Amino acid sequence: MSSTFLGFNVASRAMEASQATINVTGNNIANINTEGYSRQRVDINAITSGGGIQKYATPQLSTGLGAKAVGTTQMRDPFLDARYRSQNAEASQYDKMITGLSDLENIFDEAQTDGLQTELSNFISTLQTFSETPTSADIAQVTRTEAQKVTQIMNMYANQIKDVRKQQVDDLTVVVSNDINAAVKSIADLNDKIRTEEIYGNTPNDLYDQRNSLIDELSGIANIKVNRMPEKISADITVDRLSISLVDKNTGNSIGLVDNDLYNTIKLTDTGDKVVLSSLNPAFVPNGTGIDSDDITNLFSDGSVKGYLNLINGEGAFADPADPADPSVEENDSKGIPYYQKTMDIFASKFADVFNKINSIVDPADPASKPLFTSSDGTAVTAANIQVSQAWLDDPSYINTTNNPPDPTDLIDPEGTPGSADNVLRMINALTVDQDFKKDSDSETTFFNGTFNEYMTGLLGDVAMDVELNTNFASTSKNVLDTISTSRESVSGVSLNEEGTNLMAYQKVYNAAIRYFNVLDENLNTIINTMGQ
Amino acid sequence: MDNTMRITYKMMTSKYTTNLNNMSTELDRLNTQVASGRKFAKTSDDTSSAIKAYQIRRDMSKLEGYQNNIGHASDFLTNSETNLDDINQTVSDATVKILQGKNGTQSPDTRKVIANELRVMQDQMLDTLNSSVSDSYIFGGSNTAEKPFTVEAGKLFYNKVDVDSLADGSAELKKLATDSLYVDVGLGMSFDAAGVVNKNSVFNYSTPGINIVGNGKTADGGSNNLYNLLGEIATEFESDNYSSDKVDKLLGLFQTASSKSNQVTTEIGSKTNYLNFMTDRYDAQELNLQTRQTEVEGIDAAYTYIAFQTQKVAYQAALQMGSSIIQSSVFDYMS
Repeated sequence: MSSTFLGFNVASRAMEASQATINVTGNNIANINTEGYSRQRVDINAITSGGGIQKYATPQLSTGLGAKAVGTTQMRDPFLDARYRSQNAEASQYDKMITGLSDLENIFDEAQTDGLQTELSNFISTLQTFSETPTSADIAQVTRTEAQKVTQIMNMYANQIKDVRKQQVDDLTVVVSNDINAAVKSIADLNDKIRTEEIYGNTPNDLYDQRNSLIDELSGIANIKVNRMPEKISADITVDRLSISLVDKNTGNSIGLVDNDLYNTIKLTDTGDKVVLSSLNPAFVPNGTGIDSDDITNLFSDGSVKGYLNLINGEGAFADPADPADPSVEENDSKGIPYYQKTMDIFASKFADVFNKINSIVDPADPASKPLFTSSDGTAVTAANIQVSQAWLDDPSYINTTNNPPDPTDLIDPEGTPGSADNVLRMINALTVDQDFKKDSDSETTFFNGTFNEYMTGLLGDVAMDVELNTNFASTSKNVLDTISTSRESVSGVSLNEEGTNLMAYQKVYNAAIRYFNVLDENLNTIINTMGQ
Repeated sequence: MDNTMRITYKMMTSKYTTNLNNMSTELDRLNTQVASGRKFAKTSDDTSSAIKAYQIRRDMSKLEGYQNNIGHASDFLTNSETNLDDINQTVSDATVKILQGKNGTQSPDTRKVIANELRVMQDQMLDTLNSSVSDSYIFGGSNTAEKPFTVEAGKLFYNKVDVDSLADGSAELKKLATDSLYVDVGLGMSFDAAGVVNKNSVFNYSTPGINIVGNGKTADGGSNNLYNLLGEIATEFESDNYSSDKVDKLLGLFQTASSKSNQVTTEIGSKTNYLNFMTDRYDAQELNLQTRQTEVEGIDAAYTYIAFQTQKVAYQAALQMGSSIIQSSVFDYMS
């Protein structure tokens, strides 16, 4: 025989469950625009009457004991999370590359502004004019000024490349300290809190959301892998142990970033030629695989950090060939800042070399006896230090217009008279014929074959092609990311229609429960006050 | 199981913002194109077109340089021609005077007056031979810095060499007579193995004066150039033992020598013609390049403007639709 007041409890629980659902609906609506919020649902279980097992009892009619709200669950799909994070890493890398490469492109771009290509053409025109009147002092001066413009624009390019590098290194430093180091520390803290809550049997949904948001952000920065291992605390309590590691998708090598409440720290070192990222917490080194040293630069194979590394460390064609035995020392072969620096240096050094040889042609024994272009600091000529030589600055007519030195006493030799401009023609010729650009002074490998002007067009083409390519990659990648994002939103997002419907439905349920309560009350009233009268 | 997606509020708003952003990006791109008239604002907008455009710009700059050089050579030749005409005029004036003086009825005094006139003409001729344009002497070959013609003891010197000493066929004469001033006019300038410019690959606009005045000595050892001959005739007119036969002989030599300058005039004429031909060719090429440049760098205005308008209509439609979609949910109809 069931108790008299059993029904009251059923009604009370029904109201409680409806109330909880209405509250969660309210919470969902309130958080409709909250970043990282996952829709919640109240878990309601039906309660059965158990325990009526008595040896001599006759079976009774079992009515059930109503419903109970046992907890709230987040609607989330871990598989979609993993896909989102790996795609996010890819999309962020391309985004980063576009910004950095566009900065480089702006340096060399001549679509709407004048740059080195234009100045080279102007230099040729000036030399043509000079060849008409090689004895004219004012045109000699104009020629020198034009040559100065050419060297100054090379200096400017070199400086601007340096500025872009500084900007990129500064940005990466912030990313490493704020977006990686601070993030992994926060995740480890959250892991600790979540674990405590879970051990007490709570479901800290808001902490889950916070942690997931942080991991989502981290996934855009580096190629991370999230791992959840069930950890048994006691006979009836099992919690998830969350760890995050940096996994190079190409080699499989990895290092730990977060393990439960422990976390790693990444350090950035700028050697001037490149940046090195190292793991500061030695305790995490054993957690990694395939890592012999603290240098973990090459473990970053995706995410915005990889984009930064491609820009700051990318040697392009100048990267040493990969050593399969030790992938950690492999040089970055993207066309990044070092690539364009070296390309400009080759240009500057070749330019100086060719012109100095022509100007020194009088004395073939000493091919650089009359240099037109020198470095400002006495070292090898680079784009940063190339300048018009002091001798030429002091005397505009230092430029040799003819093969033989003018000899006023021997006017019968036409080659020796100042009016012949054979050497100026040689200079014009040097600017219009193909030159063989070597990778470096002692290398036999041809880097580029073409005119000086074509070299610059090629360089600009290189960087523009890279911008175009990365833009296309980024747009494809972004589309995929949007699709995954939409799927995720479809699972976790709040729909106003649903919430509205739930609100109406549970209000009806709530009303029905009160109605049920009234019926019970009337029944009781009948039993107590009118039964047997 | 049904496979329709749950559509959430945020999904709709974020998709809507993304789409609006894409549309306004495109709108901005088309607007920039219409406003600037350019297909690309920076190289990576259209790398292959931009590379082509840079090539065209280089070619145009090259043509400009050639045209500039042609202009210079052409001016120089025109000046040479004018001065040469002056010399020819002086020669014919002198011839008239000589014939006048040779006339047997002339008194010795009149002959002396004519001799004086001839000497003035001699000076005129020297001046013309040493004429210069913007500090460059025209008739000195590659010696443009110093006066090419000088007179020492009444004898004409060219580039400090006695013109009498330059016999026909001598190596020295050849050197001076072929002395040149070159400019690059786009004939594919090249250099031989020794590093000397290939003469067929450049344009020579120089007229060495030695080719105008005559050179060397006659069979009987006399001078054979216009200046010296004129001097000798004047001397003969002044002479007390004036011989009409001697003047006849000298006049014959003078006239033979003057035929050289006529020959040079013809040469200059043909060079000028060649330059005119080159100018016309380059003008046509430049026009072609300009057309190509417009094709490569410029936009098709009508097409782009229509695309812009179409995009604008689509954008406005999207804005209108968005405002009606985003608002409504079941809440709008709850009582």
